Amino acid sequence: MLKRKHEESSKREHNPYRRRILFFLLLGWALLLLGDRVSELRVYQGALIAIYALAIGSLILLTGYSGQLSLGQGAFMAIGAYAAALTQIYLQPPIIITFISAVVVAALFGAIIGGGAARLSGPYLAGTTLALALGLPTLANLFSFLGGETGLYFDVGIAPERFGSEFTLYKWFFWIAALATLIMLFFIQNILKSRYGRAWKAGRSNPAAAQLVGLHVGRRKVLAFTISAGVAGLAGALLGMVSLVAPSTFTLSLSFAIITGAVLAGLTSLTGSILGGLVLVIIPEIAEMVSGNFGESEAVRANIPGLITGLLLILTVLFTPNGPAEQWRHHQEKKKQKALEKQKN
Amino acid sequence: MIGSFRKKGLVAASAIVAIAGLALSAVPAQAAEVGVTATSIKIGTTVPLTGIAGPGYAKVAPAMKAYFDYVNANGGINGRKIEFIIKDDRYLPPVSVEKTNELILKDKVFATVGQLGTANNLAINSRVRLGSRGVPSLFVNTGFSGFADKKKFPTLFPLFSSYRMEAKIMGGYIKENFAGKKIGLIYQNDDFGADALKGFESAGVKFDVSIPYVSGTQGAATATTWIQKLAAAKVEVVYIFGVTTATAAAVGVAFAAGYKPQWIFGSVGADATTIVGQTTVPVALLNGALSMSFMPDAADTTDEYVKFFREVNTTYNNNATFDNNIMAGMNGAMMVAQALKAAGPNPTRKGLIAAIESKGSTFASAGYPPIGFSATSRVGYTGFWIGKYNQTGSLIPVEAKGTIYTTDSANGPVVKTTSKRPALPTKGLPN
Repeated sequence: MLKRKHEESSKREHNPYRRRILFFLLLGWALLLLGDRVSELRVYQGALIAIYALAIGSLILLTGYSGQLSLGQGAFMAIGAYAAALTQIYLQPPIIITFISAVVVAALFGAIIGGGAARLSGPYLAGTTLALALGLPTLANLFSFLGGETGLYFDVGIAPERFGSEFTLYKWFFWIAALATLIMLFFIQNILKSRYGRAWKAGRSNPAAAQLVGLHVGRRKVLAFTISAGVAGLAGALLGMVSLVAPSTFTLSLSFAIITGAVLAGLTSLTGSILGGLVLVIIPEIAEMVSGNFGESEAVRANIPGLITGLLLILTVLFTPNGPAEQWRHHQEKKKQKALEKQKN
Repeated sequence: MIGSFRKKGLVAASAIVAIAGLALSAVPAQAAEVGVTATSIKIGTTVPLTGIAGPGYAKVAPAMKAYFDYVNANGGINGRKIEFIIKDDRYLPPVSVEKTNELILKDKVFATVGQLGTANNLAINSRVRLGSRGVPSLFVNTGFSGFADKKKFPTLFPLFSSYRMEAKIMGGYIKENFAGKKIGLIYQNDDFGADALKGFESAGVKFDVSIPYVSGTQGAATATTWIQKLAAAKVEVVYIFGVTTATAAAVGVAFAAGYKPQWIFGSVGADATTIVGQTTVPVALLNGALSMSFMPDAADTTDEYVKFFREVNTTYNNNATFDNNIMAGMNGAMMVAQALKAAGPNPTRKGLIAAIESKGSTFASAGYPPIGFSATSRVGYTGFWIGKYNQTGSLIPVEAKGTIYTTDSANGPVVKTTSKRPALPTKGLPN
């Protein structure tokens, strides 16, 4: 009996791919049902959660796994968004091509910048990417085909007619964003569990040791940067679809919000990225509820989201430094170990 | 291990059930018409209260609220009180989109009114799609001529005379009065400025120096480069077609540099109080600058509308410094109140739009030119009067008071005529 149990469990362990695909399918199905039953506002927020989750996912891959701290995810999001907008405006391909072009162009920029960045680490890399986040989106003001501060609109059109007249625009956005995010997160999850993921982890934890076992740490870092930029580019294109492709969409505060989300979610847990996205969308909601109690003061109201975010960050660092998802897993593992020890005794 | 996997599955399943249950209970109840109850009508706006265009324009929405408070204090509209929600978009189009989503999805307003900015309104309409949602967007604070396109913007009513009309009329004036002089233009490099360029083209005006600027960059540093260019080219007449902060920056830097051209301020950026408040320019220095307006000057206390708005401002707007921004806000609000009244005792969004189409051209407002609303036209005011600033910063007509120039936003002629503005209704309330 015990032997069979062991065999089955090891079979499952050996086929995590199937389990993952099942998890993502289930999640997608739940979201589909959910999207049908909530108000348009919630669907809109759902799309934003998906987009933030994807952006956070890109940062988890880069920072949590490959150990490169980027403050400039917003810049890659901008690149993806502009690529998507220009593709859609000038070529009008099917939407999927638009989004693929966002990934490819952003990844290309990521490879170029990552090539330089691989030589930098820690605060120097953070500084470089910070400059990128600050400077890059404003380039749009220099070239008229990028639309200046007014920005570009790229239109993915309304939902196909067969979905019915009740199918709102934002539900369509939500479907696209959620689907793209689920597919991408599945893809990232698989990479992270592959030898690439392990190599990144090794390079992050001890570069010298990683090199000693024959890993080319620099090359791996560039690869991480490239993939991360591509994923961020897709998130940016999705954000551009819901909002606008303009410099003021991809501000420094967007980059910071994504880092905040990643830290709150736990930098080493991809599943946490959905939680991170949720938190980023919920904070302003909570802030509004709280600020209702403080009367009309604009000064108080404007600062409440910052206050909540700050508090959450402090609490996270104090109590769940690896994020609640990671903490939960840790807790479960401990419990299991205790149970095993008990069995042994 | 199996046990724990089963347990996990159970947890996941129950979580899904819980979420679905929550979702089912969240389906909203359908009201008769969004934002309308037996005792209230909810409307909202997005405007810059802070940010680069905040100075001056931040006064527009509070002025609207002041007028609505006045209407509410006098019984409201058909027994309903107007509930007015103001959202700060910092003049950033993506933020306007976000805030408009809040207005229509969360606050569930009946209509949006008086949103400010060309790029902002374009973003709102293309992204949130007010048109296909059927959400009215009344008397927006922009003069972009493109908004009069009913096919493209089926629920939008612009009120201001268009930038294109302005450029055509002032272009004609420039040709007549400044022939042979070196003329320069500073303009905002977006749809707002492009609209004016088309107008100048139809008027046949050519500028010796043309300086575009990007919205958001209009500070003293950028203005210094403008003034250097203009002074180096010995430009004698400078037309500034930008927001008030751009006018203020240009005038401030020119004053410090001792450069004194004949200024022409576009109507958008011509509020004397804001210009002087933004810079170290003494108000007397504006003396002789040309500008145009479709509204009476805020300092003209002989005008019945100005007098009335000043009274409302004293009681309902904490006696804020009265200027053109406050006038524009209250005037727009007055138009909104009349539109809501015209929509009848059981207002619907469709009914509101139909009411403006049929009666909008007869609404009482402070603007001098006729209003062009009809079943086929979405053009608001159709012209301007030309004025010169005096020592105290008031705009004084260059011709007899009430002389206006009307035209269209295409290649139609500019016609000189006299204003036939409706009189102020009793107590300034919709009747």
